[in-house]
Amino acid sequence: MAEIAPDIFFASISELNAKLRAKEFSCLELTRAFCDRMERIGPRYNALALSLREQAIRRAREVDSELKRDRTRGPLQGIPYGVKDLLAVQKQPTTWGAKPYAGQVFDYNAHVIERLNKVGAILIAKLSMVELAGGGDYRTAAASLTGPGLNPWDRTRWSGGSSSGPGAAVAAGLVTFAIGSETSGSILTPAAFCGITGLRPTYGLVSRHGAMALSWTLDKLGPMCRSAEDCALVLHEIAGADTQDPGSAGRSFNYTPQYGRKPADITIGYMPVDFEDGAEPAAQPALRTAFETVKSLGVKLKEIQLPEFPYGALVGTIIAGEAGSIFEELIRSGKVDQLADPHQIAGLKSMLDLPATEYLRAMRVRTLVKQAFRDLFLNCDMVLAPARLGPAPKAAEPLDTPGPPTRSRGGLIPGGNLAGLPAISLPCGFAEGLPVAISLLGRPFYENQLIAIGNLFQKQTDWHRRRPPVGT
Amino acid sequence: MDISRRQLAGVVLAATASAQAPPKPQPEAEVEDARARQRASAQAIARIPLPMTTEPAFQFKA
Repeated sequence: MAEIAPDIFFASISELNAKLRAKEFSCLELTRAFCDRMERIGPRYNALALSLREQAIRRAREVDSELKRDRTRGPLQGIPYGVKDLLAVQKQPTTWGAKPYAGQVFDYNAHVIERLNKVGAILIAKLSMVELAGGGDYRTAAASLTGPGLNPWDRTRWSGGSSSGPGAAVAAGLVTFAIGSETSGSILTPAAFCGITGLRPTYGLVSRHGAMALSWTLDKLGPMCRSAEDCALVLHEIAGADTQDPGSAGRSFNYTPQYGRKPADITIGYMPVDFEDGAEPAAQPALRTAFETVKSLGVKLKEIQLPEFPYGALVGTIIAGEAGSIFEELIRSGKVDQLADPHQIAGLKSMLDLPATEYLRAMRVRTLVKQAFRDLFLNCDMVLAPARLGPAPKAAEPLDTPGPPTRSRGGLIPGGNLAGLPAISLPCGFAEGLPVAISLLGRPFYENQLIAIGNLFQKQTDWHRRRPPVGT
Repeated sequence: MDISRRQLAGVVLAATASAQAPPKPQPEAEVEDARARQRASAQAIARIPLPMTTEPAFQFKA
């Protein structure tokens, strides 16, 4: 029986797939090793919601049988992955991270899981999340059925939300990639805090069939991986039209690095304050260095101004209108009181009082936001900004504890989500021993461009290859 | 202290009701705070000039 060396847990998708095809180890050996590691280490970070060892081992045997017959299904064949526990896995509990749904079981798989099954990826675990993806405005890292998401770089810090488990699991080498979801920041934030690469696709590019709905007009699913290249490989498989998702854009994504534009033909907009003294002081050196690295790629950089809108208020109002309707029964039945975070309970209850006119006004202003971003992209191809203005906060402190003052406005996460735009988070250094990241925001369906710049950045740096002190 | 049968029944019933009471409901004040935040958001949004012809953003196309 081949031994799985520790490096394997941090290998890229392409590296792992090559080793599987070269029969350095079998898919069964790889899957067992990842399942062992997930069950042993996942609970340290409250990252594991449910181990799927049995079904994973069954699938791994099938993949081994295919590989023996030289039947290949692409780069994800035999690759162990995990999904945020808001995705339905047939006949397995799907808790949405919330006590009222602890016993919930669906009889079908989410669309993305079906797609990943078809290309031979091995689902080994469901990963923890903030309860109900945090839609009620949570204020504590402990707002989860599995406890606070802890950061593999420092267990006293939060792993970010609401895709807490996917962030921690990828960072700690418990899975090679994970599927997270973002309504407003839930992929980019844990990716940034955990030092991994997260891609939020354009709204509608990836089907959400089988995923918990928090906001029909904001929810997106996307890959959380170790590199931009890995995000591309996963997105290539999970993107595509789906009649079961009313928000589906009917588009697919083909990873085509060979057709990328030259860096000299790409203009990246930025706000100078973000890379001068706008972020938290501890994060500024890493962000400044990252800015210089992006500059050295040969792209054109251009100063821009982010359109002025009350982004947070808009996102909050739209989520209130939609989540209030989605969770109306939970709220009216009183089961909402079983949630872990009182702030979130109160937030959900108040949603039932939101006047329709206020929701619709927010949605109409959102039309102006979309137009403003369209105008912004007449002057540049993408926008560069800090993914977050500082490193992960302490897990034991309220999340609204004021941090160091910042001058940056940080509206890119809610603004980009309101406009349905794709974004990628790239690790770019450390502050207080914790990862710091930059993000790139692009035009709708320009994921290839974001990935191309991400690839170039990651060829110049090794932040995405750093490993937290996880042990074995 | 003298206590009438009616008063005694009242005390016993109150004690029983108290013992069977459901878990303490969330203080209404917290929900009221959440409503106040919602109103503050609405006010911030209302400050954005909005042409009457602007329709809600329900479509997301490239």
